[in-house]
Amino acid sequence: MASSRRRGRARITISLLLLSAVLLLTLDSRGSGPVQSARSAVLSVLSPLGSAASTVVSPFRDAWNSAFDQGDLKKENETLREENDRLKGDVTANSIAKEQLQQLLQLVGIPFVGDTPVVHTRVVSGAVGNFGDRLEIDKGSNAGIERNMPVVTGEGLIGKVIEVSENRSVVSLLSSGTYRVGFSVVGTAAIGIAQGSGGDGSLRGTNIDSRQAVTVGAITATSGLAGSPFPPNLPIGTVTAIRTNEAALESTVDISMFANLNNLIYADVVLWKPAG
Amino acid sequence: MDHPAVRYLIVIASAAFLQYTVVTQFRIAGVSADLLLVIAIAAGMIGGAERGAIVGFASGICLDLMVTTPFGLCAIAGLIAGVVSGLLEDATVHSARWLTMVIAFLASSAGMLSFAIAGTLLGRSDLLSGHLVTILGIVGVSSAALVFPALRACRWADPEDVLLRAAAR
Repeated sequence: MASSRRRGRARITISLLLLSAVLLLTLDSRGSGPVQSARSAVLSVLSPLGSAASTVVSPFRDAWNSAFDQGDLKKENETLREENDRLKGDVTANSIAKEQLQQLLQLVGIPFVGDTPVVHTRVVSGAVGNFGDRLEIDKGSNAGIERNMPVVTGEGLIGKVIEVSENRSVVSLLSSGTYRVGFSVVGTAAIGIAQGSGGDGSLRGTNIDSRQAVTVGAITATSGLAGSPFPPNLPIGTVTAIRTNEAALESTVDISMFANLNNLIYADVVLWKPAG
Repeated sequence: MDHPAVRYLIVIASAAFLQYTVVTQFRIAGVSADLLLVIAIAAGMIGGAERGAIVGFASGICLDLMVTTPFGLCAIAGLIAGVVSGLLEDATVHSARWLTMVIAFLASSAGMLSFAIAGTLLGRSDLLSGHLVTILGIVGVSSAALVFPALRACRWADPEDVLLRAAAR
C-alpha cells in the first residue's frame, strides 16, 4: 500500500519535472531574457577559473592527448612537413587570390567588408558539453563585442557570437547547423540560404534560382540582404556540388567552407550590427 | 548544511566546477565525460527513480547554464538518466560492481539519447548524427568508470536515504 503510494508520488514528481523542462525549452525558444542573462553571468564567473585551470592542467592534457593520438602523431608530423613546404608556395598564391577576390567583390558593386572594424581574439576553450559546435574567445563586451556579431578568420566566416560577458564571448560555429546565413554566388545574381550539417566545414545551400549560372568552384559570400544578421561579402566557401530541380526551378548546392574549423587559435569578431 | 538538499547542491556545484575546469580538457574523439550526468545516475541508484529525477533535473539545469544548446535539454537528459538508473537498480535482485557499471552505462546512454531526440524534435537535426554513437560509447564508458566516486558523494549527501532503501530491500 505504502509502496504504491510512493510510486504514485514518484510518477507525479517525474511528470512535473518533465513539464518544467519542456516549459524551460519553450521559454528559451522564444528568446527569454532571463535565460540569456543567467548564462552570461555563469560565463563571467567561470571563465577566469576555466582559464586558470586550463593553464594548470595543460601538462596533463598534453600527455592525455599524446596518449590517445600517439599513433597518428608520426604520420601527422610527416604530413605537416610536406604541407609546410607546400604552404610556403601557397602564401604567394593566396595573397594573389585574396586580392582577386576583393576585386571581384568590388566588381559586383558592394563595398568589401574589410573596411569594417574587427576585434582580434584568441580561442580559449571548446565546448563544455558533448553536443553543439561552439567555442569561447577571450574578449567580450568590454571590447565592444555584442551578441549576433559575425566571427571570421583570415579565410572567411566561421560563426557568430551567441553569448557575451565582460571579458569572454561564446561563438556558435556556422557548421553547427543551428542557424542559417543568406549567401550570394560571386559573379552571378544567384542568392540562397546556407546551413551547416552539424559536422565538418560543409554547408548546404538552398533556395537558389536554377536559371542562374552557378558552377562548381564558384565563390560564395554573405549576401547581407535587408534584415540579415551578417554584413555583405564575408567569404563563406566554394561550391562543390550542384543539384537542380527543374520542376521547381530551384537549385541546391554543397558549399565547402574556406575557414578550417579544426584547432582554431585566433578569430576576429566583426563589429557589425544589422541596420535598424 | 546537514539537509540532504543542501548537500546535494554542494555535490552538484562541485561536479559542475570540475566539469567546466578540468573534465572538458580531457577528450577522446572530441567527447569528454559528463560528471553531472554521473551524479544524476548515482543519485538514482541510491535514492530511487524519484530522487534520481530531482537530482538529474537540478544537475541538468546546472549544465544547461554552461552550454549553448536549447535551455532545458540537459535537464531532460539528467532527469531521464536519473530515472532509468533508479528503475534499473530497483529491478536488480543482487548488487555487484559490474552490474552497477552496466546500469551506469545504460542510464547514461538513455540520458544522451533523450537529449539528442528532444533536440531533434526542436529542430536540431545535427544532434542525431553518426557522431552520436561515439558520444554514447565514450560517455557511457566514462560514466561506468566514474559512478563509484559519484556514489560515495551521493551517500554523503543523503546517508538517511541509503539506510532506508537498504532496509526496504
